[in-house]
Amino acid sequence: MKTIHWLILGIIFVITLALEFTVLAGYDSHWWNAIPAFYAIFGFVMCLALIYSAKFIAKKLLNRDINYYD
Amino acid sequence: MIEFFAIPGVILITGAALLVLIPERLRPALFLVFPVITLAVIFSRPEGYSLTGTLLHYDLVLMQTDTLSNLFGFVFAGGALVAGIYAYHMRELGQQVCALAYAGGALGVIYAGDLLTLIIYWEIMAVASTWLIWAKRTPETDGAGMRYLIYHVLGGGLLFAGILWHSVATGSIAVESIPAEYTPANLLMMLGVAVNAAIIPLHTWLSDAYPKATMTGTIFMSIFTTKTAVYVLIRMFAGWELLIFFGAAMALYGIYYAVICKDMREILSYHIISQVGYMVCAIGVGTDLALNGAAAHAYNNILYKSLMFMAVTAVMYSAGTSKMFHLGGLYKKMPWVLGLYVVGGLSISGIPLFAGFVSKGMVIDAAGYGGYETIMLVLLVASVGTWLSVGLKLPYFTWFDKPDYEGELKSVPVNMYIAMGILAFACIFYGIFPNALYAWLPQAMDYEPYTVYHIVEITQIALLTFVVFWWMKKKLAPELTTVLDLDWFYRKVAPATRLVFVQNVNTFFAKVEDGIQNSARFFARNFQNPMRWLNPLTDDKNEAKSYSPSMEVVMSFILLGFLVFAVVYFF
Repeated sequence: MKTIHWLILGIIFVITLALEFTVLAGYDSHWWNAIPAFYAIFGFVMCLALIYSAKFIAKKLLNRDINYYD
Repeated sequence: MIEFFAIPGVILITGAALLVLIPERLRPALFLVFPVITLAVIFSRPEGYSLTGTLLHYDLVLMQTDTLSNLFGFVFAGGALVAGIYAYHMRELGQQVCALAYAGGALGVIYAGDLLTLIIYWEIMAVASTWLIWAKRTPETDGAGMRYLIYHVLGGGLLFAGILWHSVATGSIAVESIPAEYTPANLLMMLGVAVNAAIIPLHTWLSDAYPKATMTGTIFMSIFTTKTAVYVLIRMFAGWELLIFFGAAMALYGIYYAVICKDMREILSYHIISQVGYMVCAIGVGTDLALNGAAAHAYNNILYKSLMFMAVTAVMYSAGTSKMFHLGGLYKKMPWVLGLYVVGGLSISGIPLFAGFVSKGMVIDAAGYGGYETIMLVLLVASVGTWLSVGLKLPYFTWFDKPDYEGELKSVPVNMYIAMGILAFACIFYGIFPNALYAWLPQAMDYEPYTVYHIVEITQIALLTFVVFWWMKKKLAPELTTVLDLDWFYRKVAPATRLVFVQNVNTFFAKVEDGIQNSARFFARNFQNPMRWLNPLTDDKNEAKSYSPSMEVVMSFILLGFLVFAVVYFF
């Protein structure tokens, strides 16, 4: 990932935020629509939570040697 | 009679039988002819067409068409065709025959108008697909195939028991929507279908067998079994609220394993469970939008999931392994396969302009607007996990991560590229023209996928997930591990199970047998010569033909007693 790639992603993100606060300002179909940038926060938090919890479960419970069933 | 042989399922199964007679060089080409004929038949039959027959006193509906069955029939026949193109280089008779019969079973289920016809095709599917696992002929696949077969025989048995009970209770064997009543018959049928739909905790056959099946076998398997079950669930169990929760649980469960697993085919197999979870959930919601979403998602899922399986199978064919631990840095050597995989990855993650976006949104919205906002959030978490596991982790550690791949690579046959190209085209086509798919859906609906809200929603989620992945990717680095699942209970505990259910029973029967034989021996020895205990006064050798004088006297008295009694009694 070069700087230019990050820049493009950043611009896209700013556009989605701009859209959220202009076009979608009055949009209200779920309770979480009141939270600004909800889906960005959701994606960020849930992805972290998924990685850490999956890693935890794997380490504590699920991972075994590759020849476990042989 | 002609009409009987024009039933899609029968065409393919007849084709499978004919393949045996065809010389090896022509076989792969002829394999493709049968799905094409099937497609032609599907297009030529008007909606509402039905073909009936009688078996004993049951009126069977051998074929029945409507919008829903045509949608699934089209994508199944098309899927069989594309998978056939992908497997064009593969010359093994057993696999070709079984793959075609398997596709025939699946199409048979789709067009079956009654439950008895359905169960026959259902079992054909189970048996034919098992060979696609066994054909690899390793001890590992022998075991996996046997576990797969036992699971499906059990599932088929439950379904059949349910069908019989249902037909006795209601007098109907039609494939029709069943009211959400938890009667034993309904539950048995649902359990049978749940096995094939890989509803947790009945999913272990899938994650056990799919990563181990033959390369082209897995492609066929990823298309048919679970989607057939989804179809039957839409037909019969729409609106059963129980399915919502199981579906959401499946979506999450599959994602966790897709994040944890390190084998490409294992990741994609677990991811099937997650994707089917979306469909099962939508079927449980049961509104028009939800049922359309389930059907559309099943349709799209066949396109991009088989595309992804094909791409990783191409890598596996080329590099000889599906373990990401041994891969990495392939982007210079297999850029086209990467590109095709990424089309599938973007589709399945629901990125705008790709097929998944237009169907996944329907399912998630249907949950949200059907009054299940928590379920909607769960499905969104599963979306995050989809993008994380199969959209980012799998391609990153397969094609990137290392500067270059150093091992030997076999060149990938052209037919594989053609098959993947067709599917990638379809993924993009339906992403850009969703109405081409929506026009085929069974329920009337008014749904617009490309709203600002949807695009903002998915873009924000995808962007931030990507940022976290890039930041945390070392945590997901591949290693060589076996990941336990519920199949542990019958694989690792097998010795204990065998002890309780086989050895203990054996020991018990052996004890009983010993007891019987011992008592027989005892009685035989003692009654051989009753004199030994009737006449304690003589020695052991006392033989029956020579009574002792005292014994003769005793016996004479007894006989005399009888005689006197008889005389007194009768006269």
